[in-house]
Amino acid sequence: MTKLETKGIVKYFKHESHQLMALGGVDLNVEDGDFVCLVGPSGCGKSTFLRIIAGLETPDEGQVLFDGKPITTTGPERIMVFQEGALFPWLKVQDNVEFGLKMAGIPKEERAQISKRYLDMMQLTKFSNSFTYQLSTGMKQRVAIARALVMDPDVLLMDEPFAALDAQTRDLLLVEMQLIWEKTKKTILFVTHNVAEAVVLGTKVAVFSNRPSKIKKLMAVDFKRPRLTEDENLLGLQQEILSELRPEVKKER
Amino acid sequence: MKKNIFAKKIIFFIILILFWQVISMAEIWPNNIFPSPYEVGEDLIFSASDGSLFFGIGTSIMRLIVGLAIAIAGGVVLGIFMARVESVNQTIGSLVLGLQSIPSIAWVPLAILWFGLTDGGIIFVTAIGAIFAVTINTYTGVKNIDPHYVEAARNMGAKGTQLITNVLIPAAFPYMISGFKQGWAFAWRGVIGAELLFSFLGLGFLLNVGRQLNDVSQVISIMLVIMLIGMAVDGFIFKKIENKVMSRWGLR
Repeated sequence: MTKLETKGIVKYFKHESHQLMALGGVDLNVEDGDFVCLVGPSGCGKSTFLRIIAGLETPDEGQVLFDGKPITTTGPERIMVFQEGALFPWLKVQDNVEFGLKMAGIPKEERAQISKRYLDMMQLTKFSNSFTYQLSTGMKQRVAIARALVMDPDVLLMDEPFAALDAQTRDLLLVEMQLIWEKTKKTILFVTHNVAEAVVLGTKVAVFSNRPSKIKKLMAVDFKRPRLTEDENLLGLQQEILSELRPEVKKER
Repeated sequence: MKKNIFAKKIIFFIILILFWQVISMAEIWPNNIFPSPYEVGEDLIFSASDGSLFFGIGTSIMRLIVGLAIAIAGGVVLGIFMARVESVNQTIGSLVLGLQSIPSIAWVPLAILWFGLTDGGIIFVTAIGAIFAVTINTYTGVKNIDPHYVEAARNMGAKGTQLITNVLIPAAFPYMISGFKQGWAFAWRGVIGAELLFSFLGLGFLLNVGRQLNDVSQVISIMLVIMLIGMAVDGFIFKKIENKVMSRWGLR
């Protein structure tokens, strides 16, 4: 069943004197429970595309359909995880995770019950009373993911969440992310510039062309999980994606 | 390291007081014009023992607290409005910058005409002296909030006043605290200045009494008290809050 559909999304990057067509009509169908990784040359607008789906930006043309209905603004059914986490430094870990529940007016005891489940899932229980400055970058991203999952969104939108992590931490989170997806059955859109990451995580990989970008190719990834970055049978597909991507990156120059 | 700095300070002040004592003993100026630190100290002990000093301090601080509280409440609201609504910034914002340039003491005549010789007048001068510093810093703070905080919060369903109290104010807090600090400094000057001109009671009033009695020791001793209170508030209250906020917000 189609969960999310984008139809001819066009977006201009506006500068003072001129404008640049970043997204040149992006069509994408996301089935319920899909884990779609979006890869593309830097500056192609894949993050902007994600932000449009989140409702944080409006497209200049085209529309986003969620369960068949066009979206106009942000909604708790589509929750974004930002690259730098965007955690609130004035709140403890647990209060960060409960933020959305508090906004929804859920009473304190109930909030604690719900957040406990996700703090456990992300192995954060020990840190629930810490402030974010006391956490490593990897821990911060765990909090950001927990904070998003607590909202129980239909769609999780992740904008290069692991880009700032060291290799070991990232590998660990790549495995956990697969487990979370299997456990929660969320539909996930995941922007990354790392093809290996995309192949490990995704059920599908969408390759963006250079500006004005469209989805050049949508590839299915069909390997058993949990996949690891060093799995040799993933290499073939990685090469294939890279060969799609390379000419797009070169166009940039 | 920290102990070292503290020792340096103590030694500096001891030398300064000794220097003062030596000059006064040289009798370049008559004693009633240039009293010795010993006489000033005596005066302090005298006014402390009859309670008039503490009553003065209490009165001034009460006025300061009320005035500053009004300034903070008003300044924060105004600053947030200016930061979030562009036309408020373009209109009221320019007025705020203009009013900021009026020294708080220049409000005294207006305060006397409007409030008479009352506590209300002093509090008015105090509040108006401090409010614009709070406003401008709050404005800057809200303008500089990482947009991802607001986007994440909106995405999780925060809106309207919820967004203001749960995100905008805490996110802008490091700037706001500098606004409060500046505001307090202006307020303290405002209280003393206003008391000097038209009040009964308070430290400014005691200064004025000293002048009328030709009692230089009293004038200097009250000035010292004003300075010490200023140093204490800056050094203990604001520094503590600032340190805590800076490290928690990850700014250091």
